[in-house]
Amino acid sequence: MNYLSFLNKLLIASAVILILTLFMNLQGQPEMNQPHPDMQRLLHDLTVENWELFEENYYNRDNLFDYINGGAELYLSYGFQGLITRLYQRGEQPDIIVDVFDMGTSPNAYGIFSHSCEQLSNEIGQGSQYTMGLLQFWKNRYYVSILASPETDESKETIFKIARVIEKRIETEGALPTILDYLPKEKLLPASIRYFKHHAWQNTYYFITAENIFNITSNTEAVLAKYQDLGILMLIEYPREEDASVAQDNFIRYFAPEDPIKKVVRIEDGTWTGERLSGNLLIIVFDAPEEAAVHELLNAIE
Amino acid sequence: MKKKIITRRDFLKDSASFALAGSLMTQLPVKMLAEEGRKSRVVLIRHQDVLDKDQKLQEEIVSEMLDQAVTTLTGASDVKKAWKQLINPTDIVGIKSNIWHYLPTPPALESAIVSGVRSAGVVEKNIGIDDRGILRNPIFKNATALINVRPLRTHYWSGVGTLLKNYIMFVEKPSDYHDDTCADLAKIWKLPHIEGKTRLNILVMFTPLFHSIGPHAFNAQYTWAYRGLLVGLDPVAVDATGLRILLARRQEYFQEERPLAPPAKHIYLADSRHHLGTADPAKIDLIKLGWQDGALI
Repeated sequence: MNYLSFLNKLLIASAVILILTLFMNLQGQPEMNQPHPDMQRLLHDLTVENWELFEENYYNRDNLFDYINGGAELYLSYGFQGLITRLYQRGEQPDIIVDVFDMGTSPNAYGIFSHSCEQLSNEIGQGSQYTMGLLQFWKNRYYVSILASPETDESKETIFKIARVIEKRIETEGALPTILDYLPKEKLLPASIRYFKHHAWQNTYYFITAENIFNITSNTEAVLAKYQDLGILMLIEYPREEDASVAQDNFIRYFAPEDPIKKVVRIEDGTWTGERLSGNLLIIVFDAPEEAAVHELLNAIE
Repeated sequence: MKKKIITRRDFLKDSASFALAGSLMTQLPVKMLAEEGRKSRVVLIRHQDVLDKDQKLQEEIVSEMLDQAVTTLTGASDVKKAWKQLINPTDIVGIKSNIWHYLPTPPALESAIVSGVRSAGVVEKNIGIDDRGILRNPIFKNATALINVRPLRTHYWSGVGTLLKNYIMFVEKPSDYHDDTCADLAKIWKLPHIEGKTRLNILVMFTPLFHSIGPHAFNAQYTWAYRGLLVGLDPVAVDATGLRILLARRQEYFQEERPLAPPAKHIYLADSRHHLGTADPAKIDLIKLGWQDGALI
């Protein structure tokens, strides 16, 4: 085989490989840019009486910013996988925006729902909330938001009709985050529970610090909850006991340096704070009115 | 450099060095620091009738409010002289607006700004208003002066949508500035195509959004008719003042401490880390004009 013949064969082989690679990429692409069939089914042939479907779009982790810009970080921090959004229009009535988020797992769907929960209802899905034109609910791995702003009687009624259809199409319920099992039930304010995996949300009720002193990451489970007359409980479950121990040391360093043994102190605003470590679970109480309240909450956890 | 960690306890026990951060990240009372140097002037102007009973903006009143604020800010004897202090007739002026669907910069205010810039002698073809398209807009590409105007609102990632944050559209990839919950937004203001060009900052406080829920972050229940404008030359001072009003509203509405999560640390860091302006209330000369009920500051 002479050199030119060899070169020709090499060029042909390279071209074939290139074409095959491109073909395989193109084959893979629709899967990347289209919603999962389970998700598509939730809105398939969904008609809304008197409202006309104006547009439908799909967003994934790469382009969610195009839809909700900076807010996308919130959803990404909860494991967002995909979003189908639909816009319905009707004359002078407000547009209805239906957003169905696939959060990958039911704990993540619960987490994003809990993030902005003010009044908890069980009317739709596994938990719902209606606030002036906005209905949010979660069921299984899906978090659903239906918005019509400003609210009208007709749009409100339609929002609930749409929600019931979608809810029914999500056939099974999903599990709650297991860390919620640790929360004592007595005096718990249920709508106050916040489940999260990013330190940005640790300050929801009470400014602790703007930094990640407890090393809350996507590998940890964290929950905040308010208790009537007792204070704020924060639980963080770490992959390993050593990780929890490091976070405990940081609590002592920044919040209880004067009493590293008892680890329950009265801080400068007169409230009490304290912590207890149980294996890989760090239990912290903030904003308690008295020392006994800290102990009551710390000791209520098995 | 190791990051300094400031906690709630630092705010509470230290009367001076952490007071600034404390007043921006919590509803803790503002502790005034020792006065030093020149103050940043911020004008808060409010008008009870700027919104009618249907919450519709009254254009004439908007224009009057802006005129009065700019005149007071500059200390000029009339509004035309005030605008001439801010803008030169040969300037090419980009008005960086905000088109967020639920709470955009009101067109009535944009028109009032254009009128003011025109009164300084700038020809219409040298004035542009834009938000998402500024990087491709020839006016903004060639701008010699910028006016920054947007409504104040809570934001899921930066804590609050501010004048500082409004310039994020001046970069090709805004998400490059999302690290650490947008901590270093002030860096954008030091980019060569922006630094030194901003002549006026206007934080719209007609109906600020003080709490966000849902993917679109908006719900009318969490807006309130504050009926005001905050105007200044120092964006950090204007944002810090707006943030204090917003935190006070959250306290008033929820009847308990409700810090922003995440905290709006980009405002604090714009002062302490990037030295873009001042967030310290002791270094802000706040002038309150007009309607005073429920000013919250």
